[in-house]
Amino acid sequence: MGGRYLARRVLQAILTITFIILLNFLLFRMMPGSPERVLARNLPEAARAQLLVRWGLDKPLIPDQLVAYVSATLQGDLGESYKFRGRSVVDVLGERIWPTLILFGLGEVFAIILGLGLGAYSGWRRGGAVDYVGNGVSLILYSMPYFVIGMALLIVFSTSLGWFPTSGMYTIGASYSGLEQQLADFLAHLALPLTTVAIGLIGQYSILMRSSIIDTLTEDYVTTARAKGLTEGRILRSHALPNALLPAVTLVAINLGYVIAGAITVEVVFNWPGIGTLTVIALSARDYPVLQGIFLLLSVSVVLANLVADILYGALDPRVRT
Amino acid sequence: MSPSFRRRVPRLLAAVALAASLVLPASAGAARAADKLVLRVGTTQDLDAMNPFNTALLVGYEVFTLNYDMLVGFGENLEPIPGFAASWTQSTDGLTWTFKIRPGMKWSDGRPATSEDARWTLQFVVDAVKAGKSIGLGYLDPYVKNAAITTVSAPDAETLVVTTSRPNDRVLSMFVPILPKHVWGSQTIDTIADFTNDVPVVGTGPYQAVEWKAGQYARFTRNPNWWGNRGAADEVDLQFYPDATDTMVQAFKKGELDYIRNPTADQFDQLKTLPGVTAVSAPGNGFSQLAFNCYDKDIKGGGASTKALRDPAFRDALAYAVDKQALVDKVLKGYGTVGTTQVPPWHTKFHVEPTNLRTFSIETARQKLDAAGYVLNDQGQRLDKQGKAITLRIYFPNSNADYPKVAQFVSDWWGQLGIKVKARGYDAGTLTDILLPPEADEPGAPGKYTANYDIELWGWVGDPDPNSLLEIFTTDSIGSLSDSQFSNARYDELFTLQNEAATLDARKGYMAEMQNIVYDQAPYVIVYNDNELHVYRTDRFTNWHNQPADGTPLFANGTYNYTLLQDATATPAPTPTATPVPGETPGPSVAPSATPAATPAPGGAGGSGGDMLPLLAGGGILVAIIALGLLVWRRSQGGPRAPEEE
Repeated sequence: MGGRYLARRVLQAILTITFIILLNFLLFRMMPGSPERVLARNLPEAARAQLLVRWGLDKPLIPDQLVAYVSATLQGDLGESYKFRGRSVVDVLGERIWPTLILFGLGEVFAIILGLGLGAYSGWRRGGAVDYVGNGVSLILYSMPYFVIGMALLIVFSTSLGWFPTSGMYTIGASYSGLEQQLADFLAHLALPLTTVAIGLIGQYSILMRSSIIDTLTEDYVTTARAKGLTEGRILRSHALPNALLPAVTLVAINLGYVIAGAITVEVVFNWPGIGTLTVIALSARDYPVLQGIFLLLSVSVVLANLVADILYGALDPRVRT
Repeated sequence: MSPSFRRRVPRLLAAVALAASLVLPASAGAARAADKLVLRVGTTQDLDAMNPFNTALLVGYEVFTLNYDMLVGFGENLEPIPGFAASWTQSTDGLTWTFKIRPGMKWSDGRPATSEDARWTLQFVVDAVKAGKSIGLGYLDPYVKNAAITTVSAPDAETLVVTTSRPNDRVLSMFVPILPKHVWGSQTIDTIADFTNDVPVVGTGPYQAVEWKAGQYARFTRNPNWWGNRGAADEVDLQFYPDATDTMVQAFKKGELDYIRNPTADQFDQLKTLPGVTAVSAPGNGFSQLAFNCYDKDIKGGGASTKALRDPAFRDALAYAVDKQALVDKVLKGYGTVGTTQVPPWHTKFHVEPTNLRTFSIETARQKLDAAGYVLNDQGQRLDKQGKAITLRIYFPNSNADYPKVAQFVSDWWGQLGIKVKARGYDAGTLTDILLPPEADEPGAPGKYTANYDIELWGWVGDPDPNSLLEIFTTDSIGSLSDSQFSNARYDELFTLQNEAATLDARKGYMAEMQNIVYDQAPYVIVYNDNELHVYRTDRFTNWHNQPADGTPLFANGTYNYTLLQDATATPAPTPTATPVPGETPGPSVAPSATPAATPAPGGAGGSGGDMLPLLAGGGILVAIIALGLLVWRRSQGGPRAPEEE
């Protein structure tokens, strides 16, 4: 891959992140009430005084506060939580990020494999039985909000059939005899939210992949390949699929930005202790430091996801590398 | 054709299906802690603090009465029963109480629990009251103030002497947890509100908190040194479902919870038809109210959005436009009664119906608003006397699924008066902070509390004595209990008079006037006396008792009922160890009741076979995902430069 392409993308990402940090700085200082009231609420006097110094909240906005904020942020100091008294924002976020990463990471993987597979097959066998059923199901899934899927799964597989626990990440207070038992408990709790996430995404991936494949199949190079006498399988694998994947990669990357919207509803339905439930808690508790942290975390991860998508795109399609 | 690709899709689906089928049966038996019996309780409230002085919520009272003993507890009929003190006597002049502390009682950490701990705790509160300060949120110090305690002393390790300035028995019903001096001793009035009282908590109560995850759960294990009757539960888990009543109900139906407090009326109706489930609808000693922000001074950066709220005539007019019967019928589905005064009908001895009862009428409300000088402009908006269109913000806690509906109705009714309503839910702890006025600020740190709200929609649950519900409207409560910032000199005077009244009749007389003042001046519109709706399962625990008889088993007054619970699976079993004696009196019975270790694991859909199975399944899924991912990825990516291109 061209070094210039890569460098340009990375530079772009760094600029965006800088802008996000600035926005984050301004946003929470433009809110009504003094910044120390917004950011240092509910702190013991000593911690409050310490924060005032650390963030220079008693000094002018620019440059002192900005400099203090940027250097604090770069050092991983995001302030103190209001709701979770006595804990730093980094600490609170750190505890909550893994459950979300696992839930949505695995959910995406499932959805990508199943959704893209189903879409590709439907498009390839357009008008066939799989296409007919698959497309219909995909449309239904695509239009269903997460909480509907989640609640339905919860009622059927948890309350009625009793196969899975209703909520949480572990059985409360369980003592495990070993790692495998803990993992089993975790997987049992993970199953329903994970399925919800995957089902919610499969629909849209499959629909996109289907139309993308159909588009590609009408391209000249596919006709050429056919004329060269390649087998259908090879045409699909070597010519249609790689090109059809391009829009899918974009969609997946953009989707990462919407993950939080889904995360909130899925996590709330299953009381999954991730970033989504944390957002709800922080919002209703007006925990601005934590909200600020979530905002920063999410926007940076969207930028990074896009960067990865760009790089992947470059790998998939030589044309964009220039 | 394309055999390779076609084969791949079914292979993939088959792998996923296989992996899924592996994990399904395995999950049910996963990690059930078979060696301990856990009582799992669900509530919509999210615990706000482990420090007893910092809680404003019923769940907080439940938590601190699990952790700690009060000096004297509440029995099944709310009568005084031994708590931290084993017995007590009152002197003939009625001014001196002598409490006997159990010899050899220990804190949960093994340190001796003596009269000195009780003396330290009560003295701390007495000092705060004398200094005119409130401790933490200020919910607990009124108990000591109203009992008129003047001195506390501990002549020896087993004796506590409390003197009061006038004869009264309120010293027997104080919701003041006796705290371990060796943990709390270094706190001062200024620092105690910042003390988080982290887990594991040290107390003398039946169960102590060992783990707390805000927004999720708090876990309590049995106090090894508990002096009273041992309840069957080895552990109590309180699980919090703020804003998630549906999930709580699903978890209860599935059997993941043994007890839930306050599902919605519809859910309650559905749950009570289930087998093995007992549903209790208890007339609550409490109410829900629309509390107006009556604060009569301007607050920088806060306060009410219009001065109209300071005007009793304005509040009175709005009160006419609240159809309480409709709220009882449509929101509570009949599980409650129309509310009138701050002393609910539950207090049969003290409740009176107001003299000037209002009848719902939008038209009357309009006329009263016009007459009071709040006129409509040509866009149909009601203006305050400063000429500003009135928009009222209603804030409610997210722990009650009924409040959004009430706000919706009120918004409609007041909309017909030309008054716009904006409603919003908050985390309960945050809402408590929002409601507090500058009086709650620490000296030298002004500006933290600004009472920045117009109307609060929330509720109160009272004590066996009506004092706590009457206290809310006293001027002294502004900055602590008060959520209306109401102040009325005659009311303050009456509060003291009733508290010190010599006879029940005299007390009732004062209280009648107090109830009418609040009704007429309308700092509150008490919308309904909502029933407590509790639902519990009887398949794991039995011997549930209501406190009092028409009350509820849990979330009542103190945690006596937790100590009565018996293991449902143990009772009918032939195992010799499994017949606990129903301890009617909380004595030092050390008899180990129903050791669950001797009984098989409590039921559930679980096959206990194969702890390795879930692991294998999980690992299988992971490997399948990764392998398939790699496969698909490499195939599609490798395409353009595939060497096989002929």
